[in-house]
Amino acid sequence: MKIPIGPQHPALKEPVGFMVNVEGERIKSLDLDVSYNHRGIEKGVEQRDFNQSLYLIERICGICSHAHATNFSKGIEELMNLEIPKRAAYIRLIVAELERIHSHYLWVGVAGHEIGFDTLFMYTWRDRELVQDLLEIISGNRVNYAINCLGGVRRDLNEKTIKLALDHLKKLGERAVYYTKLATTEETMVDRLSGVGKLPYEKAKSLGSVGPTARGSGVDSDVRRDDPYLAYAEVPFKVITANNCDVLGRTIVRAGELAQSIEMTKWALENLPPGEIKKAPPRSAPPGEVISRCEAPRGELVHYIKSNNTDKAERFGVRTPTMANWPSVVEGLTGQNIADIPIVVAAIDPCLSCTSRTTFVDTDSRKSWVWNWDELRNYSIRWYRENKGIYWGD
Amino acid sequence: MDAWLVFLYVLVFPGIFFLLGYSFFAEWFDRKMYAKMQNRVGPPLVQPFADFIKLLSKEDIMPEGVEAKPYNVLPLFAFAAVATSFIYIPTFMSSSPVGFQGDLLLVLYMLTLPTIILFLVGWYSRNTFATIGAYRAVSQLFVYEVPLFIAALGPALWVKSWSVSDIVSWQQGNPWLFLIQPLGFIIAIICLQAKLERIPFDIPEAETEIVGGPLVEYSGRKLALFRIATDMLMVTGASLIAALFLGGPSVGFSLDSLPFWAAGVIGFVAFLLKTLLIVFLLSFIRAAFARLRIDQMTSFGWKWLASLALFQLFLVIGMRMVVQ
Amino acid sequence: MTKPGAAFSELLRSLTKRRATVLYPYEKVDVPSDFRGRIEVRDDLCIGCSKCAIACPADAIEMAAEKGEKKIKYGGKEIPRKKHPEVNLLSCIRCDVCEEVCPTAPKAIYITAKFSGASDKNVILVVPTVP
Repeated sequence: MKIPIGPQHPALKEPVGFMVNVEGERIKSLDLDVSYNHRGIEKGVEQRDFNQSLYLIERICGICSHAHATNFSKGIEELMNLEIPKRAAYIRLIVAELERIHSHYLWVGVAGHEIGFDTLFMYTWRDRELVQDLLEIISGNRVNYAINCLGGVRRDLNEKTIKLALDHLKKLGERAVYYTKLATTEETMVDRLSGVGKLPYEKAKSLGSVGPTARGSGVDSDVRRDDPYLAYAEVPFKVITANNCDVLGRTIVRAGELAQSIEMTKWALENLPPGEIKKAPPRSAPPGEVISRCEAPRGELVHYIKSNNTDKAERFGVRTPTMANWPSVVEGLTGQNIADIPIVVAAIDPCLSCTSRTTFVDTDSRKSWVWNWDELRNYSIRWYRENKGIYWGD
Repeated sequence: MDAWLVFLYVLVFPGIFFLLGYSFFAEWFDRKMYAKMQNRVGPPLVQPFADFIKLLSKEDIMPEGVEAKPYNVLPLFAFAAVATSFIYIPTFMSSSPVGFQGDLLLVLYMLTLPTIILFLVGWYSRNTFATIGAYRAVSQLFVYEVPLFIAALGPALWVKSWSVSDIVSWQQGNPWLFLIQPLGFIIAIICLQAKLERIPFDIPEAETEIVGGPLVEYSGRKLALFRIATDMLMVTGASLIAALFLGGPSVGFSLDSLPFWAAGVIGFVAFLLKTLLIVFLLSFIRAAFARLRIDQMTSFGWKWLASLALFQLFLVIGMRMVVQ
Repeated sequence: MTKPGAAFSELLRSLTKRRATVLYPYEKVDVPSDFRGRIEVRDDLCIGCSKCAIACPADAIEMAAEKGEKKIKYGGKEIPRKKHPEVNLLSCIRCDVCEEVCPTAPKAIYITAKFSGASDKNVILVVPTVP
């Protein structure tokens, strides 16, 4: 029997299509259909100058908006050889970690809702309001903070804000401990979370999973530690991994990251260096290409920017962490029950606004098709050999 | 009793009209307590009634290819089954005027009918989600019916009667049965939560997995009938447990010295308080747990519920022989 | 060690706590003073240089021709203003770049903390006003 899950479904907050092949309650196979939220942002960035496109890029996603904006400004600043002041780096880090806190609280609530535990949903979203209030005071908005600009940040933190933030963070820390305890000791919740969405270590690496999805399977990789940006080289923190290789592992990783982020934000607030908050950038960027990556709440986010001595980007490409994690959903759901679909999909923390893929369309014959991994790889090897004389093949 | 008094009993109080009104109130109480436990406000008092009226005014859509007669008539069966079983449970007197020996079995059987009708509804709806919800409802039925029947058997064995009215009358001067059979009381509450298909047992209607379960294709008046039947099932189930284990309308001391109307009012108030307490316990369980999977529910039911219910039954038999 | 009922104590405590929700709009919500609300333009300060319209990421500002004579004091001189900005509130993303690039002091175009209000039109224009 074939069941359509999506694009409209109460389990999904955003549209994605699954066609699930079931037998009784067991899933035999499933087909994935993404890209319902394509908005042409990559094209839009080519027509706006750097400062304007910053606001467009921020709106790729509502929950990880600051990660996109930080990544883009970091890439452009690298092309322009511009070094931002230390205070600006710290403020960007504080907002990034606050965003991670709010995203993980949101995730715990959504996971609770997907398994039917609405009480957890209500409690976590009530406590998340503390983070939202903080972000509102710091940046003026609860989502899409618009606090980055090329060369630094636009708003500063004063003493009152810092004191209020430390106060709220203490409360948030206590609540995080309670939710960790609840997620790991409440029997009905552990029954629903453990043993589902199994993703062994080798599969996690070969499918290219990133973020808490990979760290919940024991893969020890975090862009903040492996490739430090902003002020992450100075702030002390631990990378949390778990060996459960299932949804419970990802929950433990996110709960641990929540506690770590609260500690990091406290440290950054207490050790905020004085100084300016922005440096005037040059009008245009010298020609070049840059790959900029950062650790969004969902995993590794990659931006590719190509500049050509104008004040607009010539080409802009985004690879979001959700896009990298979808194959692990297909892997984790084969052989499981229908009842596990919502929680396994929610375990990668899907942000469908960040998911887009390429399709080939032939308007004359009205056909559309996609390439698989081998076709794409062969095409890239051929292109580089013909156009650049470099041979990547093995 | 006079024929017209029985008529009044069955139709007005505590018959259909009272049952309808009390179901709305019980649904509001359940939602309000659920919201308060989650630190929210909850709906106003007239919300369930407003939902009912709104559903009655919506368009009634029948999907293509569905057989019309069973599709239209099945909600009425569910409504009728639950409404009929309520009149056998005493609400303000110590016995029901239409009670007879064996009406406990009749009540339990009629309360099973809504689940079977839910299965038929899911089957006739010709929708993938409805089919999955239908077979989940029946799988769940097999798991909780046995412990529920055994738990209800305990009071019947103790009092040596198959009539609900006799069980209530026995508890008038004697200790209430939940003190003698606490395990049976707890098992009956858990099985009632499973019968009502509420969290943690709302597997047939899992909103995030199969959208609406068996009722996914229903709309308008038929859906209103089903929803009111579910509320009435909650009230009837709570009243049954209150009658079997908490003494129904009895207050622990004899009210024979008071005139009929005063005893009736005191008994009625006691009945209301006891059923609202059971509804509160159901809301509490609903707020405290996550939803189980059907295989986890099956293993939980057979491992814990059925074995504990049997243990309780043996205890009752043993204690009865000792007390004899 | 898992056991059922880890949430019990919190549930019972929540029964006595006050609700966490705010009954908006019957109860008002406070926002910080630098909240990103509506844009306003000051008629007595704007010199019509169009910098805000050029810089706006959302193309929400259009420069409209000035009807009649209008002279503004700027940099110690009186200069005529040929056009003034009109902001479409429904396109504005409240990013505040217009305020950053505005050359006057105090700023002629600025963000306020007003956020509430509803309308049934699909274009809401903010024109220069005197506060």
